[in-house]
Amino acid sequence: MEIAENAVHSQDRALAEEEALAALVSQYAGTLYRVAFSVVRNPADAEDAVQEVFLRVLRHKDTLGEVRDQRVWLIRIVWNIVLDRKRRAKTRPETDDVSELARVLPADGLSAEQIASAAQHHAHVLACMDQLPAKERQVLMLSAFEELTSVEIAAVLNITESSVRSRLFRARNLMADLLHHPRSVR
Amino acid sequence: MNPQNSFAPDSVSQAVPGSVEETLRLIANLPVPAGLEDRIHAGLRASKLTHKARVLAWPGRLRPASHWMHSAVVRGAAAAAIVCVVAGGGWGIYSSVRPHAPARAIVVAPHPAVSGGFASGGAMRTPQTLNGPVLTHPANGAPSAAKAPARAAQKARRTRQAADGGNAATQPSTPIAK
Repeated sequence: MEIAENAVHSQDRALAEEEALAALVSQYAGTLYRVAFSVVRNPADAEDAVQEVFLRVLRHKDTLGEVRDQRVWLIRIVWNIVLDRKRRAKTRPETDDVSELARVLPADGLSAEQIASAAQHHAHVLACMDQLPAKERQVLMLSAFEELTSVEIAAVLNITESSVRSRLFRARNLMADLLHHPRSVR
Repeated sequence: MNPQNSFAPDSVSQAVPGSVEETLRLIANLPVPAGLEDRIHAGLRASKLTHKARVLAWPGRLRPASHWMHSAVVRGAAAAAIVCVVAGGGWGIYSSVRPHAPARAIVVAPHPAVSGGFASGGAMRTPQTLNGPVLTHPANGAPSAAKAPARAAQKARRTRQAADGGNAATQPSTPIAK
């Protein structure tokens, strides 16, 4: 009798966990996709990373209730996944970034030439960003997301808030130098 | 740039060209591809199906997902079974090991024939045989009478050996008739 009651409870629990997971997907899939895209700069890779995040959540769904801030927790997971993938796929040519950016940029009535020119410009900026040291670059990228405060960025990167501030300060200085005097940082 | 994160001094903020902010904001506000959530849900469903497919199919009541292990009776029985197995194994080892068992003879296996060595070629060792005593006078008559001259001859020979100082060792021995 006890087994049957336990089975009913477990079914209820499984159902609740599935509903919680579905709610997480609908609530945070977009944010996670954008965070992933900012690193991998490829829609397919970004989508794969988001999928991987929720698969990991599914595997560790028992600990879902213990998570204090699910949004930061999910962003941290996707951040680690995309950094790992980026590290592995270092051999990808940089020209892919330009073509991918040209494909995903919003057209807004621009001509094909203007879109290509804008994509090239953004690719140049991103190439300059890639020359930044990893710590500064990561803070600069995450600071662009309106959803993330400096405290949350610190939580994602597992550093203190003051470190976030100082790294962002350095990143902006370095970025200004790079754009005015290319290759002066390294 | 995120206004919440504009904690840098103004001079630095102005030092960063607007193109960087524009690019980062563009990426941060990219539209999410259509059907992303559906694909994620489909992927999760597929993952659950593959997760359920196992080589070992438990009967319905014994499946781990049915949480039958949560019953106190079943857990107690399982614990008792584990204790029995451990105790039985320990007793089995204890009973099979005798602490003061006498040492047994070690049987050494014969050396295997080494190929490539020298062979005997069928030769057999023959021990060196000694020449037997040659009797000059066949013994006949009473044994005590026959032995008397022999004893006298032996005595004379010992005396001669002692006198010669061991030269008798090089001389051929006279056969003694018994």
